[in-house]
Amino acid sequence: MAEKNIILSAKDIEVKFRVRKNYLTAIRNVSLDLYEGETFAIVGESGSGKSVFTKTFTGMLESNGRVTNGSIMFHDVDLVQLKSDKDWEGIRGAKISTVFQDPMTSLNPIKTIGSQIVEVIEKHQKISKQEAKEQAISMMARVGIPNAADRFDEYPFQYSGGMRQRIVIAIALSCHPEILICDEPTTALDVTIQAQIIKLIKDLQKELGFTTIYITHDLGVVAKVADRVGVMYGGQIIEYGTVEEIFYDPKHPYTWALLSSLPQLGVKGEDLYYINGTPPSLFNRIIGDSFAPRNPHALKIDFAKEPPFFRVSDTHYAKTWLLDPRAPSLEKPEVIQDLHEKIEKMTGKGGAFYVDEQ
Amino acid sequence: MKKGYVLSRLLRSLISLLIIIVIVFILLFTLIPRDNIFFDDPTFRKLGGKPDEKTNYIYTTWEKLGYLDYVTISDYCVALYGQADPRVEAAIEPGSVESVQFREEYEKNGYTVAEFTNKKLYAFKDIPIAKRLLTWFGNLIQIDTPWAVQDPNNPDLERYIKFGTTPTGGLALIGSGTVHKYLIYTDSIFPFIHQNIITLNLGKSYPTFQGFEVLDVIFQSQGEEVKREVTFETGYTAESAIIFGTLTYKYNPDVMDRNKFVDNYANYQTRKNQPSMVGTSFIMGIIAMVLSYLVGLPMGVAMAKNKDKLVDKLGMIYIIFIIAVPSLAYIYLFRYIGTALFALPSVFTVYGSGDIRSWILPAISLALPSISGLMLWMRRYVVDQMNSDYVKFAKAKGLNKNEIFSKHIFKNAIIPIAHGIPTSLAVCITGAIITEAVYSVGGMGKMLPDSINKYNNSMIVALVFMFAGISVLAVFIGDIILTKVDPRISLSEKAGRS
Repeated sequence: MAEKNIILSAKDIEVKFRVRKNYLTAIRNVSLDLYEGETFAIVGESGSGKSVFTKTFTGMLESNGRVTNGSIMFHDVDLVQLKSDKDWEGIRGAKISTVFQDPMTSLNPIKTIGSQIVEVIEKHQKISKQEAKEQAISMMARVGIPNAADRFDEYPFQYSGGMRQRIVIAIALSCHPEILICDEPTTALDVTIQAQIIKLIKDLQKELGFTTIYITHDLGVVAKVADRVGVMYGGQIIEYGTVEEIFYDPKHPYTWALLSSLPQLGVKGEDLYYINGTPPSLFNRIIGDSFAPRNPHALKIDFAKEPPFFRVSDTHYAKTWLLDPRAPSLEKPEVIQDLHEKIEKMTGKGGAFYVDEQ
Repeated sequence: MKKGYVLSRLLRSLISLLIIIVIVFILLFTLIPRDNIFFDDPTFRKLGGKPDEKTNYIYTTWEKLGYLDYVTISDYCVALYGQADPRVEAAIEPGSVESVQFREEYEKNGYTVAEFTNKKLYAFKDIPIAKRLLTWFGNLIQIDTPWAVQDPNNPDLERYIKFGTTPTGGLALIGSGTVHKYLIYTDSIFPFIHQNIITLNLGKSYPTFQGFEVLDVIFQSQGEEVKREVTFETGYTAESAIIFGTLTYKYNPDVMDRNKFVDNYANYQTRKNQPSMVGTSFIMGIIAMVLSYLVGLPMGVAMAKNKDKLVDKLGMIYIIFIIAVPSLAYIYLFRYIGTALFALPSVFTVYGSGDIRSWILPAISLALPSISGLMLWMRRYVVDQMNSDYVKFAKAKGLNKNEIFSKHIFKNAIIPIAHGIPTSLAVCITGAIITEAVYSVGGMGKMLPDSINKYNNSMIVALVFMFAGISVLAVFIGDIILTKVDPRISLSEKAGRS
């Protein structure tokens, strides 16, 4: 991958939530550099902090949550310092947009599709109503709504789930954002529609040149769309690297476990692989490696001291003591040994995650 | 919305109304002993020592109210020989040939024949409930035509309908041979254009408001007559409270009537200084309703926006207070505050309906509970909407709090509230029993319980008919409003068809 400009740089982000007089730490000192034009995927199980982390980029944390440490530099602005709606004007929805999980509920049911697109265009661009409408219709056509002009005045309930997600994407992209955060954009859709939506985002990215952050559980999707992957666990990114590095040369035991859990890797007649135990409680202070209690390969030090990031390559870092020269050498589990072919099979023609590229 | 749906919905409304009336009618006239209706009749009580007159009064009243058919030997003989025939005198005596004939004839027809204490005969026969119902529905809608009046004493009565003016100068459609003289007329009283062609007849009021049509009881203005200098068509000038538009045919006009009117149309209603019962309740209800929406909705919104903060908690205290404290208690408390601190009248009758001060306390008292209800529901709907995904997405789109609220949350939250507006309007007509009692307001609130207490059965049927009809209509209008504010809803006969 060629050297690229950093568009967004998060440093040591810590997010705390106040829940019933207690504070829980949802994000623990996460840093991330996002390069212009890339697709960065964040994977991890539920509650690992994927959504919360990206919400800090748009100031969308719930009212009881706060960024308590760190900085997020976007151009010359520290997003952590932005508080009021007024501060966010021109960034949220304009330069950084979000597509949420459930298209069925992301649109206001009693306003026309058109008005909901026009609304955001008028908000961020100083143009006339007529121009806004024309832009909205062209955006609708661009995301693949047939007869866009005719369907401009229809209501969300007259659209199917896939169509609604296209509209949500149209709204998110209508002001030509620099970063698009896709928060599990396909989870609520059926598989064939998923593939269409993924392809749509990919095509639009090529066309419009925005940077994409993908939040997903779906490693198949990641393999297909991402340039780089960050694996999150217990409120931290524990390993990141290019998609090839993460899939074919994972270093962190959690990444191994996650990849092993792919149901497609299961053998007929045998139990599917799963990770024992539950994620750590965020109310407690986590000592050592947060994955240690569930890690069959855990070392003694994992319970005592938090591992630093170890460099695997220029682009690949992992936060595990296994990479320490003093650690015993461990091979990744057999099931993910020749993952390359397996993934190829899954995302290639005829596979469950095949995306038609035409 | 389909025309077919509206029609079938109206039809279903009518059928349900019909069923309600049938049930109430049957309950009232079969389960309540018919002797009970005399409990509160002063005329009846005065007849205590005169058994024959009492019996005659009872049966005459029952006949008038449609319970039974009643004939005395006198009626029979008069019919036989004519009004002033000398033979009648002898014929009505007990044991006469006619008496034997009377007994035979009526017993054959299923009547029960009985004797007064003076041995004179009378006969009666119950009218079956089904027939009574049919009569009630048959008489319900009266359509005025030039052939409506058949007066044997006035064979030369002209029959026509023509355009003209009322003595007060309003345009009118004048009829002759019709029950009403002015079929359509205009004047300076709301709603300015009035019609008498189609009228409802819900029976006569008894034993309270004796001799009045039940609708007149609740719809005619109350209080003292407002007299003014009036010149009648004959040129006769007098102080009178007449409303010319209400003139109806009088079968036996007297000398005074002849002085005033050129024709037989001499029955009229008078203008009075207080609004009718329905009017009073409605005015009070409307003020209270407007007040409660103006206060309740913004309060509910404020509570939702400041959920769990001070405003929300204060609002909750108010809501719980209204729910927990009996209405009588807080109405008296409020009345005390109003009279002690703001010198407002403690009862409506001090200044009457013409003075704005009379309305303030009753209207606010009436609004107190609806404000709390609206606050509670509005808060809930706004909180619901605030937590919805599309609001989150609207925020992600970059809209600020005010834009999200005005463009998204408010419109969605108001939908269920809008549906209830026609119903709250309709409820105004039924009156407010406690508030009206506390402030001595002459409204509708006491009518239904009073009618039930005093066995004014026609009034009960009429009120049930009115309230049920208006409620059914209000819900229907509410549904239509719903289709206007919520595009997802369309009224159609079967689900899925739009």
